[in-house]
Formats: sequence, structure tokens, C-alpha cells
Amino acid sequence: METVNIFIRSIFVDNMVFAYFLGMCSYLAVSKTVKTSIGLGIAVTFVLVITLPINYLLDTYVLGPGALSWLSPELASMDLSFLSFILFIAIIASIVQIVEMVVEKFTPALYSQLGIFLPLIAVNCAILGGSLFMQQKSFDNIGQATTYGLGSGIGWLLAIVGIAAIREHMSYSKVPKPLRGLGITFIITGLMGIAFMGFMGIKF
Amino acid sequence: MSASRKQILVDPISKNNPVVVLMLGICSALAVTAQVKPALVMGISVTVVLAFSNVIISLLRNTIPNRIRIIVQLVVIAALVIIVEQILKAFAYDVWGQLSVFIGLIITNCILMGRLEAFALGNTPFDSFLDGIGNGLGYTAILLIVAIAREFLGSGSLMGYTVIPESFYEAGYMNNGLMILPPMALIVVGCIIWVHRSIDKDLQE
Amino acid sequence: MNKNSNTYTFIYASVMVILVAAALALTNGLLKEKHNKNIEIDKMTQILRSIKVEATKDNAENLYKANIKTAYILNSNGQVVDESQEATFGVDMSKEIIRPLEERQLPVYEAQSEGKTLYILPVYGAGLWGPVWGYVSLQADRNTIYAVSFSHAGETPGLGAEITTEAFQEPFSGKVLFKQGDFRSIAVLKAGQKSDNQDAVDAISGGTITSKGVEDMLLSCLGAYKAFFEQVEAEKKEE
Repeated sequence: METVNIFIRSIFVDNMVFAYFLGMCSYLAVSKTVKTSIGLGIAVTFVLVITLPINYLLDTYVLGPGALSWLSPELASMDLSFLSFILFIAIIASIVQIVEMVVEKFTPALYSQLGIFLPLIAVNCAILGGSLFMQQKSFDNIGQATTYGLGSGIGWLLAIVGIAAIREHMSYSKVPKPLRGLGITFIITGLMGIAFMGFMGIKF
Repeated sequence: MSASRKQILVDPISKNNPVVVLMLGICSALAVTAQVKPALVMGISVTVVLAFSNVIISLLRNTIPNRIRIIVQLVVIAALVIIVEQILKAFAYDVWGQLSVFIGLIITNCILMGRLEAFALGNTPFDSFLDGIGNGLGYTAILLIVAIAREFLGSGSLMGYTVIPESFYEAGYMNNGLMILPPMALIVVGCIIWVHRSIDKDLQE
Repeated sequence: MNKNSNTYTFIYASVMVILVAAALALTNGLLKEKHNKNIEIDKMTQILRSIKVEATKDNAENLYKANIKTAYILNSNGQVVDESQEATFGVDMSKEIIRPLEERQLPVYEAQSEGKTLYILPVYGAGLWGPVWGYVSLQADRNTIYAVSFSHAGETPGLGAEITTEAFQEPFSGKVLFKQGDFRSIAVLKAGQKSDNQDAVDAISGGTITSKGVEDMLLSCLGAYKAFFEQVEAEKKEE
């Protein structure tokens, strides 16, 4: 039940874009058409689902306070959590690299769709943000961490596809000149965020 | 200071502002703007990290192997961010608690990677330092404007001190609680862009 | 030397990693003590606030020493299992609340106010965005609340975050946990709602989920101390 809650919450309530503004740079730059948005959204979800469990293991068995006690009891007082930023980002960067190579080798069709987005993702805040929030929320097991990754990714996908659909239609609207492009996108994202706040407190 | 150097420093504050013109670094910018104090600390932290990572990469620019260029940049940024985080945790514990994961997210702030790639790799350390400070200030400026608007309208205070007199509340004035919620940060930035582009017509799309 | 050769790249990466690791370990080593001190002082300030003693960064430690003379850990039957101040202070509530009740360590801090004993009990639960926690001080009857202090990790400023304000916390004073001999805890209700069989305080308007989180936290965390509360009744009967 807890896992279902985490899933639902991470999509609607703790939405990466609307609640924490993560991944905004690529969100704004790539959301001009629905098709590319779906590609980037899937790539983000994909990388989140892979990196979160790995970083969860890293946090639980290497970095956290006393996490090294499985090696020897003397290490129980070790706390390496100050290294988590650098190791998380290293893991993410290398995973993205590996994913890119694997996808290119085995599924060229998928690569032609996702390929151009993958390098963008290493520095997408939503990915690092996912790992950092995962660490802060201290999940009970790796399943919950993975669910959180999947949910956050889907939430991000939902947000970018939504804004892209609106932006496609906006070419027909009369937006004041200074507001065109970036400005109106911000305001619409804000309004979407307000709509998403209706999901607050949702629970099973 | 020569004119070109002055330009490096001043340009990013308005004309080439990293946030509202180049759309960089918005990710971590908005979540900390419900109040002025965390926004200010965040702005200073980013400026410091930006200036020093620019200098370091500029010093190393002729030695970095091209293949691992991005990784080297990430490692330098991440290391500086960790140092800033450790210092905040030691000397400004309450702000550290408020900023929580958003300090870590400075690493993926696109301004940093963007400036390293676009400027520090091709310029001298001193110019890179100025560029870092300039972009940091441009970022801080936007953060502060958003935070001032949100804290003033949302909580009736600035830096935690109440500025709206008691008599206003007695006369029926109410704080606009909506301003404090995350979506309003986006709308405030949207309005800043609106004003900025109304003044500087070159930027209109 | 060829900048694109494998050897160069490899050596470059290794040197960089070693330098960065050394720099970070050094920073952490130098600041570690200060971090721990900050965490301790923060905790002490919160504990002191729950007995209406306002402390600053500089005097928290002295005030804590002057006010909190004894502290011990109980089990769920109300028996003392550890009497050391240090062990009690070190209990991590976030880890305790997920254990089964029988295995939990329940810390109690005792303070003296005007010759009467106050019991300070830590509470820990979930708000809307993250954890909420706090300290509740009870009067010598182990029933009437003397004062409370709550903190949170990331509740919405102006809404959920208002649980840290005087306006929310003040009404807890004087409320009782037991009604007709049964443990009822304190309800946190929206303005206008009434509760017949338990004492209640007003929720924060717009901060419903955080308010509910505080209510649940009080019920589950204070509920664990039931045996400890009932000892007073038992002692009275013996007299």
C-alpha cells in the first residue's frame, strides 16, 4: 500500500516540475512539440528508474551513517554522506553513458528516437533531484526507491507533454509580444501547477 | 578595469541574464524563493561556485583531455558544491536546513556547465572569474526579485521581519497565501520576463 | 605529451580523483565537529522550547545543562532500560517509530520548573512534504500538557510551516491526554469542528494535511508512553 502511495504521490503531488521546478531547463527548451517531448520524457523516466535503485544501494551500503558496518563493525561510526553529491552525479553520468551505448548497440530504432536526448539528461536536475530526494525521504526498501523513480519520471513526462500540447496550440493565440515564448510558458506552467495542487493529500 | 572586462562583468546582469534571457539555471532557482533569506544564501552560493569553478577550469583549460572534459567539469563543480554545503552546515545551520537538497542541485544548475563550456574553456582565469561573478549576480538578482515579491505579498515580511504594519491587517488586509505556493514562483518569473522584454525590445521572440 | 592518449587521460583522471577526494575529506574532517555541535544545539533548543525556555545558539548548552537534570529511556511497559543522559539524547526518533512497539526505545527528559517535575517526550511523524517532529512537555500528573514545540523539514511556508508558530503551539498548554481514565491524545481540528471525548486545538487553515500529521504523530508517539502515564494512577492508589 505504501508503495502505491509513493507512486501516486510522486506523479501528482511531489511532481518534479510543478512542486520542485526540477528539470526546467530541458523542460523549457524541448517542449515545443509533443513528439520530441514524449521522447525526452521517456528518456528521463528510463534513466530515473535505472539510477535510483543504484544510488539507493550506494546510499544504504556505502554512504549513509553507519552504512559500512556490513564490512566490519568498526566502520559503524563512518559517515560518508558528504560524498553523496559527487558519487550520485558520477553514477548518473556513467549510467547515462552506458545506457546510450547499450541502446545504440541493441535497439537502433529506440536509439534514433532517444539518442539525442540522452547526453542532455546527465545534467538534468530532475535526475540528480530524484536521487537527492530519495536520500532525504529514506525509503524502507529498494522497491519503494524504484517506484519513486518511476513515478517521478512519469510525472515529469506528464508535465512536459502537457505543456508541449498547449504550446502547439498557442501558435493560434494572440499573446502580447513581450510575453511570447518564454514568458507565457512560465505562466502556463504556473497555472498547470495550481491545477495539480488539487491532487494534494491524495491517498489510498 | 578595461571596458571589455567591465562588459564581461555587467552584461550578464541584465542584457544576457542567464535566467530570464538564456533560460539557464531555473531548475534550482525557484524552489528557494518563498523567502528572501534562503534565496540570498542560494544566490551567493551559486555565485561563489560559479566564480571558482570558472577560474579552476580556466587554469586547467590547456591540460584537460577532451574526451573526459564534461566529467572533469562535473567533478570540479560537485567538489566545490560539497565544500559550500559543508561550510553552510557549519556556519549557517538554519539556512542549510531550509535549502536542504537544493544546495546539491547547484551541481546540475545549467548556468555552471553553460559558462564553463562557453567561457572558461577559452578565456584567461581573471576574465573567467569576472564572468562567473557577473552571471552569479544576474542569477542572484532574479532570485531576489522573485523572493521579495513572494515574501512581501505572501507573508507580509522581508528577511523574516514583518514590514506590513499591524493596522493594515486590522483594516482587513490579508496576506496572499497563494504567493507562497510553488506555482506562483513560475508566474512571478513569467511577469519579470514580460517586464524585461517590454523594456528591452531586442529580446522579443 | 599527447593529450589524447589513453595513458594521459587515465593519469589525469586518477590525479583529479585523488586531489578532489583529499580536499573533500579535509573539509569534512575540519568541519565535522562543528556540524555535530550544530545538530546537538538545534535539538537542545527545541527541547528547551518545549518547556518555554527560549535559548539562542550561544547559551543553549548551558541552559540545557541547567534545566534538564535527568533523562532516561523506557520500554513500552514503562520500565527504565537505560539511565544515561547521553544514550537518551542520542536516540534517533526517525528509526524508533518504524520499530514494533515492544522493541522501541522511548526517551524521557525530566526538567524542574518552580519545584515541579516536567516530563519532556519526543514525537516524530509525517507532514505533507516530509517529516514533522517535536517535543511535548507534560506536568507532574503526566496528563496535562505544559507546552509543546514542533519543527518540520519542508512544510509549505505560511501554511503547514505554521505549526512552528506560537499561535499554533500555545493552545496545547493545559490540554489533557486522558478523558474518563482513557488515553485519547489531542485532536487537531478545523475551526468549527468539535470533539466530544478528547481535548482539541485548532488546525491551521490551508495546512490540513500537516495538521492531521501532527494529530497522528501525537496519538501514535504519545500512545507508546501509555504505561508510563498510567504509573501515576497506580502510585496514587498505593498511597
